[in-house]
Amino acid sequence: MLSLFQNVQWLLAAGDSAHGGDHGGDAHAALAIEGLWFYIGLVVLISFGLMVMAKKEFGQRFFRTRISQYAEQLYIFIENLVVGIIGAHGRKYMPMIMTFWIVIFISNCVALFFPTSPTADLSFNLGMALIAVGYVQYEGMRANGVLGHFSHFAGPKMGLALIPINGMIFIIEIISETMKNVSLSLRLYGNIDGGHRAAVAMNELGEGANIPVGAFLLPVKLLTCVVQALIFCLLFCVYISLVTHHDHEEGHGHDHADDHGHDPVPATA
Amino acid sequence: MLPIALGMAALGCGIGLGLIGFAAMQGMARQPEAIGKMQTAMLIALAFVELVFLLTVFVGAGAFKG
Amino acid sequence: MTENTQPKSNPAMVVGMIVIGAILMVAGMVAYKAHAFDAIEKPLAGMGIPLNFGKTISTIGVFLILFKVIEYFFFKPLHETIDHRTGELEKTFTEAETLRADMTQMKADYEKRLADTEASAREQIQAQIKEAQDLKKSLMADAQRQAEEYKQTAIAEIEAEKRKVLGDLRVEVTKLSLQATEKLLGANIDSDRNRKLIDEFLSTVEVKN
Repeated sequence: MLSLFQNVQWLLAAGDSAHGGDHGGDAHAALAIEGLWFYIGLVVLISFGLMVMAKKEFGQRFFRTRISQYAEQLYIFIENLVVGIIGAHGRKYMPMIMTFWIVIFISNCVALFFPTSPTADLSFNLGMALIAVGYVQYEGMRANGVLGHFSHFAGPKMGLALIPINGMIFIIEIISETMKNVSLSLRLYGNIDGGHRAAVAMNELGEGANIPVGAFLLPVKLLTCVVQALIFCLLFCVYISLVTHHDHEEGHGHDHADDHGHDPVPATA
Repeated sequence: MLPIALGMAALGCGIGLGLIGFAAMQGMARQPEAIGKMQTAMLIALAFVELVFLLTVFVGAGAFKG
Repeated sequence: MTENTQPKSNPAMVVGMIVIGAILMVAGMVAYKAHAFDAIEKPLAGMGIPLNFGKTISTIGVFLILFKVIEYFFFKPLHETIDHRTGELEKTFTEAETLRADMTQMKADYEKRLADTEASAREQIQAQIKEAQDLKKSLMADAQRQAEEYKQTAIAEIEAEKRKVLGDLRVEVTKLSLQATEKLLGANIDSDRNRKLIDEFLSTVEVKN
């Protein structure tokens, strides 16, 4: 027990040092794995606590407590998001998107009150991005077949003479798929960790007069919490809709790849 | 040199974000019934522009320094 | 591709995902402790990217477990509750719709019956009025007829009386004339011939007036 307490103290100290002003751009201050486990545990604990509180009223006709109503709102919000972007067949991705939302949002909120948080750690975000993009690839393969999925990368069919161009498109698409990982993870990391650094940097401004100037960033950071969770889920939906949105048109034409270039949503990051 | 470069990156991204917000607001004002779709597209575009700045700050700055 | 709206529930897959997640968590720990990816991480860290693939692998494991746990612990009950409620709402709305249709039907029936009743009542009233008018007419005709009869009888009686009176008068007149003539002549000429003469005379007088 005592060791745990010491561990916690050390973690808080480590979090502090991670945002110490004097090594602003230094990369070596990331959390050790024990720290990451602590913060993941914290996030999981908070989210499961909220879930248990919300679950009390499940199965009843009306939700009376706030937390259950929020859970319902979250469900309806994610359902609208999924159905709006992916279409009606997207409902089966809802548990996954809800998990992403809960974890990202709660760990963003943890970042408001604690020195650091899982989403302020690039490795954690990269793990999430890898899962998201990997699942998108898996769904693409299931929807179009393995060969069909990879032929999507090669762009439209343009005839034998233009095969080199197809090859270049293929390489670019592969790079862009890799960049999806980087963009998803770096966006979240940059926003949360950047918010911390901005708060620390602004706190230095008011150090002489003992005014916590960085605290005034709290509304912006709160907005960032919601927006980043939203954007992660939104982009995940967009990626999934890109690989599965030909499903309902399969009866009309056999060459799906032809209209791949006319997607209204940008395919790459 | 680095602060000026970062400032310029921030300037460019600020202009980009402003343009997106401008166009989205105009579109929303003209077609209030399409607000949902426009918000989604706007948020995606904002995320992409923001990503450029984040790449500049975290990767570019680190690479310059190192 | 199957278009099922419900997430698939394959127990083997769930257990597999959780086991793989646990394995990945431990593997990430081990990789972190053994500095397995130092060759990639060091240059990246020099560029300002604090990556650690051990932590990444652990995160993937955590998420593989979390997906399933949250799906079964939180999402399914919520989904069922909301689905149930939506279904119930739809049922209620359908019921209300049926009830409203029933009510409209009943109201139409009632109105029709009311109109029918009103029409039949009016008809009856009309019939009664007509009957009464008929009765009145027949009664009046009866009365008229009776009055006519009485009048006729009265006229006949008057006529008869008159005739009788006239007859009497004639006899009286004859008698008086005879008496006057007797007096005048001083002799009783009460013979049949005289009587006949006077009668003839009177009849001429009668005819004259």
